[in-house]
Amino acid sequence: MKTASSAAEPAAGTSGTGGEMPYYAPAGNEIALFEHAWRNHLPVLIKGPTGVGKTRFVAHMAARLGLPLFTVACHDDLTAADLVGRHLIGDGETYWSDGPLTRAVREGGICYLDEVVEARKDTTVVIHPLADHRRVLPIDRTGEVLHAPGSFMLVVSYNPGYQNFMKGMKPSTRQRFVSLRFDFPGAEREEAILIGETGCDTMTAKRLVSIGRALRALKDVDLEEVASTRLLVYAAILIRSGMEATEACRASLVESLTDDQEVAQALMEVVLATFGK
Amino acid sequence: MEEWVGGLWDRFITRVARRDHPEAAVHLADIEKVLGVLFRALGGDPGLRVAAAADTRHGARRRLLERVAGTGEKAAHATLDLETLRLPATLAWFPERHLNRDLYLWLIALAAAAGPAALTAREGSDFPLGAWLQLNQAAVLRALERFPGLAARYRKLVEAVIAERLDPNRLPADEAAREQAMRRALREPGSVASLPPPAGRKSMPLQPVPLWLYPAPVAKETPARRARHHERDESSGIDAGAEKRRHEAERTELPENESPFLLMFRAESLLSWAEYVKVNRDTDEDENPDAASTAEHMDRLHLAPDDGKRVASRVRFDLDLPAAAEDDLVLEDGVLLPEWDWRRHELKRDFCRLQTMTAREAPAMPLPEHLRRPARKLRSQFAALAPARRWLKAQPEGTELDIDACVRLHSDRLAGRHLSGAGAYLAMKQNERDLACLVLADLSLSTDAWVSDEHRVIDVIRDSLMLFGEALAATGDAFAFHGFSSLKRSLVRFHAIKDFGEPLDGAARGRIAALKPGYYTRMGAAIRHATGLLERQPAALRLLLILSDGKPHDIDHYEGRYGIEDTRHALIDARRAGLKPFCVTIDREGAAYLPHLFGPGGFTVLRKPEELPTRLPLLYAQLTGR
Repeated sequence: MKTASSAAEPAAGTSGTGGEMPYYAPAGNEIALFEHAWRNHLPVLIKGPTGVGKTRFVAHMAARLGLPLFTVACHDDLTAADLVGRHLIGDGETYWSDGPLTRAVREGGICYLDEVVEARKDTTVVIHPLADHRRVLPIDRTGEVLHAPGSFMLVVSYNPGYQNFMKGMKPSTRQRFVSLRFDFPGAEREEAILIGETGCDTMTAKRLVSIGRALRALKDVDLEEVASTRLLVYAAILIRSGMEATEACRASLVESLTDDQEVAQALMEVVLATFGK
Repeated sequence: MEEWVGGLWDRFITRVARRDHPEAAVHLADIEKVLGVLFRALGGDPGLRVAAAADTRHGARRRLLERVAGTGEKAAHATLDLETLRLPATLAWFPERHLNRDLYLWLIALAAAAGPAALTAREGSDFPLGAWLQLNQAAVLRALERFPGLAARYRKLVEAVIAERLDPNRLPADEAAREQAMRRALREPGSVASLPPPAGRKSMPLQPVPLWLYPAPVAKETPARRARHHERDESSGIDAGAEKRRHEAERTELPENESPFLLMFRAESLLSWAEYVKVNRDTDEDENPDAASTAEHMDRLHLAPDDGKRVASRVRFDLDLPAAAEDDLVLEDGVLLPEWDWRRHELKRDFCRLQTMTAREAPAMPLPEHLRRPARKLRSQFAALAPARRWLKAQPEGTELDIDACVRLHSDRLAGRHLSGAGAYLAMKQNERDLACLVLADLSLSTDAWVSDEHRVIDVIRDSLMLFGEALAATGDAFAFHGFSSLKRSLVRFHAIKDFGEPLDGAARGRIAALKPGYYTRMGAAIRHATGLLERQPAALRLLLILSDGKPHDIDHYEGRYGIEDTRHALIDARRAGLKPFCVTIDREGAAYLPHLFGPGGFTVLRKPEELPTRLPLLYAQLTGR
């Protein structure tokens, strides 16, 4: 799902706001807020459950502002060198290779650290000097101190639901960001997203959304993660390409959400209660 | 001979008159979990419990054969109140299994659409028939609108139900009109505002409608009996009967035995089971072996307070507090803790008083003989989890050169291959295990129940703590053991077994061996106190491990949903404090309420309690391993 560079989002919607711009349906004032933050050189933290459009939103904003986007999918083996860059051993010499963070600073683009809590805490500390008024990136290895240009922006995202206690977000990191909370879209907006993303008919969109909302009621009781908008989009895509609706839902929603057979049976009944048997 | 023929006849006529289809029966117990999840998914209140409903006499007209056989006079209805959704324990209305299953699913959808407490009758009054009719039709409409996929199944169910009902053409005129209206209400919900009135007193009530919800019966309670009732709950433990069907019950006060020499009875009642005879026979030691089947045939069970005098086998304990000189040492008295009242949505401040205490006489002891071998095995297994520093090879950066990698890189380069990005350094990595674990064991009286021929629950808990301690000591993780029980809100007993700072030595083992079951389970207060203790630990991962054998429950109002919601509130606070609660329970019904408390993946139900000592360390490894 995570793309490594800008403008590589697949399946961009057809009814987007501009030609190349990835489809994004705003929930509130997040576009304005993002633009204000960018203009005033403030870093942004986006939090929300998986598959509600955090990554899509960033891609959309990068396209909208005409900035290159450098996405890093964070994981627990990510080192500071992976972000900043390192010396590589080449043919008879060593040479410096910029990491994505350094490239974003040099080019004045958006550096997007996806699922930032997955990275180890000592790794995320390297973004501190970039994320406050200093806006510099010191590179120890080369002795360089990069000053970020005005168009550079740091964006991080995380999913509060995933937070396990081995990895939390340091308060000192957290307090450097303007925070945006993303949540599952309202029913009407989610229907619009499904139609916009997949071109499915209104009835299918309505029913998928009602299934999605029913499954979301099970959060933290029977399901660890609930049906994201992304999964609903997958279901809509399968249905549109000719799969039987209940089977599409089984594959894209039910089995993706649980391994427990009985819970799966119950989820399937929710699907049947909506699509009929 | 007479009896034998009678028995045969009874069996024959019962079988012939049966209208249900036992071969196609679907049992609630089998699909309970599915129904629970579905109910919550369709928008039902997640705090509600799904349980079996009582058979009630409906009084409606029956077929001739049924009247001859004396069957079919009772049916279990689906009811919904603030705490419980009751469904029939078994559905066998239809000859096809899938229809019976669909009926369960339909009732779940209907209950979710009806909303909470729609059909709760006021105390002491019957639910008005007209309102019942309209509420159900409205709920059906709502359910069909919200879950359009159910429409086809609903129609099938309606036709199947109607096919099972008595033909209106063969009923008296007024009953036929009512029956017709009923059928219309089922086929076109919302179309019938009221039923035609019955013609006279001879007119029979409506036949039961399995597709609809019925008002929940209001239990009549006499205030004096609550405490005793609980006592029994606690004592029945896990070996209580498997028959979980409810009977419609009514609490009755026994007449005072003013003169012990006067035997009261009503002669005309002797041949009848159905009527309650106020005879105080609490000294009767003979248990009726056939009581279960008798209860089956009675409309209403009258439960009289039994003054705590149970038949001999059950009298095993005394719930009075021991004398101060005998009781465990009080370490700290009067820790005040709040309690959550879910009905009022408020946290009652300083509502519980908690005492921390420790065993008075707990001589130090070595590890018991039967645990030595498993302990040795666990120690070596868990030593592997202990933190260690290790070198990582071929790292992009590090403190030392990785000679192997350097040689490979160099030779590759000489060979003309170019491998950029491969690391040539060794890096030291600290495998950190920064965690603290607090085990909170339920020591309520129910742990006195026997799980097998040799072991009681408390023995299993003791063994588990002993072994778990050995395993934890091997990992080097900080850990503490505590136990709890309670006697109303004024006395929550919190036993210190091993604190974080103390080593697991003979004295700690002595305290484990000295654990005694007693009293009740006020889980919320204990969790709140444990949260406070664990919160002070500096570790990154703090695990609150709760060993339980049943629902939270105490003899004041702390029962049912109240206890569960209070516990849930305490757990939410614990999570907010950065702790990770996890519950290991041997309560086989745990799956019904634990998801609401601990969330998915937040609990484990052990089917065999005697496995706890071996499973607990493994669970821990699984929970804390990377």
